[in-house]
Amino acid sequence: MFYAQLAVNGLVQGLVVGLGALALTLVFGIARFPNAATGDTMTFGAYAALTVHKASGSLALGSIAAIGGAAVLALLAYLTVFKRLAGRSVVSLLVASIGIGFMIRAGLGVAFGHQQQVFNVPLSRPIRVAGLAINPLDLQLAAVAAVALAAVFAILYLTPIGRQMRAVADNRDLARVSGIRPERVMTAMWLITGGVSAVGGMMLGIKTIVSPEVGWEMLLPVFAATILGGIGSPVGAVVAGLVLGVAQEVSTPFVGFTYKIALSFVVLLAVLLVRPRGLFGRIEGVR
Amino acid sequence: MKTTRREFLGSIAAGAALVAAPSIVRAQGADVIRIGALCPVTGVGGPYGSGMQKMIVAAAEAVNAAGGASGRKIEIVSEDTQTNPQAAVLAAKKLIEVNKVQAVLGTWSSGVSLAVIPLTNDAGIPLMHCSGAPALSVPPANAKGLGFRFQATNDRFGRAFAEICEKEGFKRPATMAFNNASGIGNTEGFTKAWKAKGGEVVESVVYEPNQASYRSELMKVLAANPDVIVTGSYIADTTIILREWFQTGQPVKWVIPGWAANPQLIEALGAEVTEGIISVDSVSNEGAEAFKAYDAAYQKAMSQAGTNNVYAAMTWDMMTVLALAIEAAGTADMAAVVAKLREVGNPDGKQVSTFAEGKEALKAGKINYEGASSVLDFDQHGDVTPDFGAYFIEGGKLNRRYVVQI
Repeated sequence: MFYAQLAVNGLVQGLVVGLGALALTLVFGIARFPNAATGDTMTFGAYAALTVHKASGSLALGSIAAIGGAAVLALLAYLTVFKRLAGRSVVSLLVASIGIGFMIRAGLGVAFGHQQQVFNVPLSRPIRVAGLAINPLDLQLAAVAAVALAAVFAILYLTPIGRQMRAVADNRDLARVSGIRPERVMTAMWLITGGVSAVGGMMLGIKTIVSPEVGWEMLLPVFAATILGGIGSPVGAVVAGLVLGVAQEVSTPFVGFTYKIALSFVVLLAVLLVRPRGLFGRIEGVR
Repeated sequence: MKTTRREFLGSIAAGAALVAAPSIVRAQGADVIRIGALCPVTGVGGPYGSGMQKMIVAAAEAVNAAGGASGRKIEIVSEDTQTNPQAAVLAAKKLIEVNKVQAVLGTWSSGVSLAVIPLTNDAGIPLMHCSGAPALSVPPANAKGLGFRFQATNDRFGRAFAEICEKEGFKRPATMAFNNASGIGNTEGFTKAWKAKGGEVVESVVYEPNQASYRSELMKVLAANPDVIVTGSYIADTTIILREWFQTGQPVKWVIPGWAANPQLIEALGAEVTEGIISVDSVSNEGAEAFKAYDAAYQKAMSQAGTNNVYAAMTWDMMTVLALAIEAAGTADMAAVVAKLREVGNPDGKQVSTFAEGKEALKAGKINYEGASSVLDFDQHGDVTPDFGAYFIEGGKLNRRYVVQI
């Protein structure tokens, strides 16, 4: 029961990481570069939600503002920077994304200050389910994440644009000769990426605090989950986020709290040694 | 935050004007001692930094008004650490290499001071700081004896925690520490002092920064059924931990350092969650004459009572005691000045409270500066021992119930 409780503790953290990893992996799969601004897009979403929540008192309105705002922000980053750099080496895109992340972080710092802010949500006692203490707020956040994930996977697997996105991710050249317009796919992908980051950022903000650095500091676990899940695999990213979150918490009785972060990287190493493409990744031929 | 940034820009502008105005430069000539005021004007230290910097300037003005130290005027060059070691190192480099300052005053947060001290050591100039990490007392950080600490060490904080826990009658303390030199220093200092009193610590946890949740850490600590949890923590992690603790519903008391349990924390969590938390902070030497002089200067500069910023009283003392040492040494050669710091700060000698008074008394013999922040007696490591206040959070307000001495 003790371990089950630890696992529950890890699930919520895993969901935040998983959402970040989903945003990262979508860009990785389709635009083919690691987007280091993912964390800061999450922070932007958290601030957008916080501002609207303070003004209106409604978390629902806050999340709509966060998703909308961050989606537009991600699209703007694409239109102004990444689009112009398309076809350059991965390194130039990566460095550009670090720069964009830096600008977002600095902008938030100037606009909101560096002091921490919090969502004023009512605190509630946990409910007991079969001996497990579960926080109602966590349940709500998990539900929000589940809805967001369902929406993303519905777009990816049930709509024409989703099919086109997956086609580009699979084989860009083949997609192009089949008449898929990269422009539309990219626009859709960046909007989704921004929205997913925003949900992750908002969850993180509600669970912890909001400061300009919160998203940036999540970047390492997000990258780890992306790699573990198999680069470019949306399902893998979410599952890997959850696996890492739960593995970290369940390991604490054995390795202590100081080394739990290292442990998630041990899991990552072990999986990659046995399965270099990640949990859900596919082997790609070198072109 | 907005005000402090504006004030900071103002101070830059003022500094720039000072440098640009040729008349001032000519007036001061070569007989000027430049001192760097390197304070956390922005970042986590933002609530304190601006006042700290202004008190260095104000104390320097008092020195200059009294005719300067050993016949030289003091000139302050201000920089912002952003409460960030990287930014602090860049600013310190600029102060030392471009402005050629003779001392760096006012760094805050252990990470910043630990990053800056190698630079001041290499330059052979003193660093006066308000950081708690025990590592700053000893080599390698303080290998040359040029580091002077005006804040209590984390170890002393730990001892104060133990005094307060004993006074409050707690029997089963547990500790939670942020994994850095300062956080662990606090809880280890507490554990050492508590065990010396014959007590036992029922559980201790060291946790990592930037986690989305500290529930597993809390589970482990609360499972030991402590009656009080003593922390070495910062505001962000304290916010998350207290929120999650409150949601568990298990009653326990908290003893938390003052830089984490501050009005910002109450604002973030509300009066209900924070009710009864004991916040421990060093207190200024409030009965002293020196404190009155500082308080007047602080009210003039910040339109607030001097008790609002313990660190500003420390920076006031830094400038004053440094100027007294320069006066006593009769030279701006820092090796000679540093050798005099203990002589002008520690007993025995005539007790003095201001630079002017000290300058006068130095003509007759030895002096002992009794500071605004503490009695300011440096030990062999360059550390001081301030008093500590136990502030209880009651109805969303921090009320100081008593002062403990260690």
